[in-house]
Amino acid sequence: MKNLIDFLLRHSSWFVFAFFAFISCWLLFKNNPYQQHIYLTSANAVTASIYKGASNVTSYFNLQSINADLQERNALLEMEVLSLKKQIRNYHSLENPIELNFADDSIVCDYEYHFANVINNSVSKPKNYITLDKGSLDGIEKDMGVVDQNGVVGIVCGVSDHAARVISLLNPDMHLSCKIKNSDFFGSLVWRGTNPYYATLEEMPQHVKFQKGDTIVTSGYSDLFPPGLIVGTIEGRESATDNNFYSLKIKLSTDFTRLSTVRAIKSKMANEIKQLESEQIESEQQ
Amino acid sequence: MTKNLIQSFFLFLILGLVQVLVGNNISLFNIATPFVFIYFLIRLPLTLNKNLTMAIAFLAGLIIDIFSDTQGMNALACTILAVARIPILKLYVTHNDDITSPIPSSKSLGVAVWLKYLLSTTLCYCLVITFIESFTIDNYLISLYRAVGSTIFSFILLFGIDIIVNTKNEKRL
Repeated sequence: MKNLIDFLLRHSSWFVFAFFAFISCWLLFKNNPYQQHIYLTSANAVTASIYKGASNVTSYFNLQSINADLQERNALLEMEVLSLKKQIRNYHSLENPIELNFADDSIVCDYEYHFANVINNSVSKPKNYITLDKGSLDGIEKDMGVVDQNGVVGIVCGVSDHAARVISLLNPDMHLSCKIKNSDFFGSLVWRGTNPYYATLEEMPQHVKFQKGDTIVTSGYSDLFPPGLIVGTIEGRESATDNNFYSLKIKLSTDFTRLSTVRAIKSKMANEIKQLESEQIESEQQ
Repeated sequence: MTKNLIQSFFLFLILGLVQVLVGNNISLFNIATPFVFIYFLIRLPLTLNKNLTMAIAFLAGLIIDIFSDTQGMNALACTILAVARIPILKLYVTHNDDITSPIPSSKSLGVAVWLKYLLSTTLCYCLVITFIESFTIDNYLISLYRAVGSTIFSFILLFGIDIIVNTKNEKRL
């Protein structure tokens, strides 16, 4: 017994090392991207407040480019308003006004927006996450889609009272259902590798025709994002992984290196759809 | 010893903040990220109990992990660094008598040995962390570039920090 204790004491540093290595590996590998608790992430109270303080200072540096983006967006919206006004006038001028048919736009009403500021962001790691300065008390919930003025940013994966953690589009664990604008062929957008400006659209059928520069938008098949949000543009074809499908290289429209203000989208239909789906499953099981 | 530990603690506080707020956001040429907070680990007294060194390293790594959303990565790399530190130093110093003070520095070790020690520990840390980080990525060449790039970048910064910290100490004396 004494020998055993002696042995343990003499080699205690090995056991301590094994213990710490085990804990680190456990933290490293148990970690799934949609984990529930946020205590060991940058969205906990202490880290979030430090990042908020720092972002109060650094957020000013990007203002000029953001302003330019916003003005561009503003101009686009203004043009859209003008064309819509023109359409309405056309309808009014008809003697028998036809029922207005905003098939694509009416869906926007089913979504609610929450504004938030990005306080921590990374683009160079193999798996990237973003921290927002708004939490559950401000109406942010888990599984909300996040967009900025240029395009899709990510999905909320953890929420504390005053901060939220977003799984970035620049994370191989995130798959986004996308399609080529004005066609119904959809594929799965995933980020592989190191360049924060490009992603890959996979599982596109062989016969789909496309041109360089075509716009890629969200398909709306997941209820997180409304259909038709811009994701990026086609840059070229990538080597196929499968004979029946090919992959496209997509230039992302969101500049992840300078995110500032983002919107979290809450789908008013999401709960209803989920409830319906779960009821369906239950009734099938019975 | 207590004074050294308190000094190390403040060093960690400052370097940790620099790491989290500045270092993590830098990615030079998309490959090199500086790791400055390991300076305080490299400088921990050599006479410090091995188990305590590992505990300090693990906690420091964990704190950096919490800030940068990389659970366990820095913690593991720091623990390995804490273990590898003394064997690395033994590569360059054959007699224990050559070390004049428990805190490794250019004065106690001599400039050449100190720089070799600093470079080796930085390389060790960067190699470990890059390969843990890219565990799932097949392209090892990029990981190697990243490790070497980060090592060079970190080494230059650590060298600068070393000069600042040491001149401060001299002035106070």
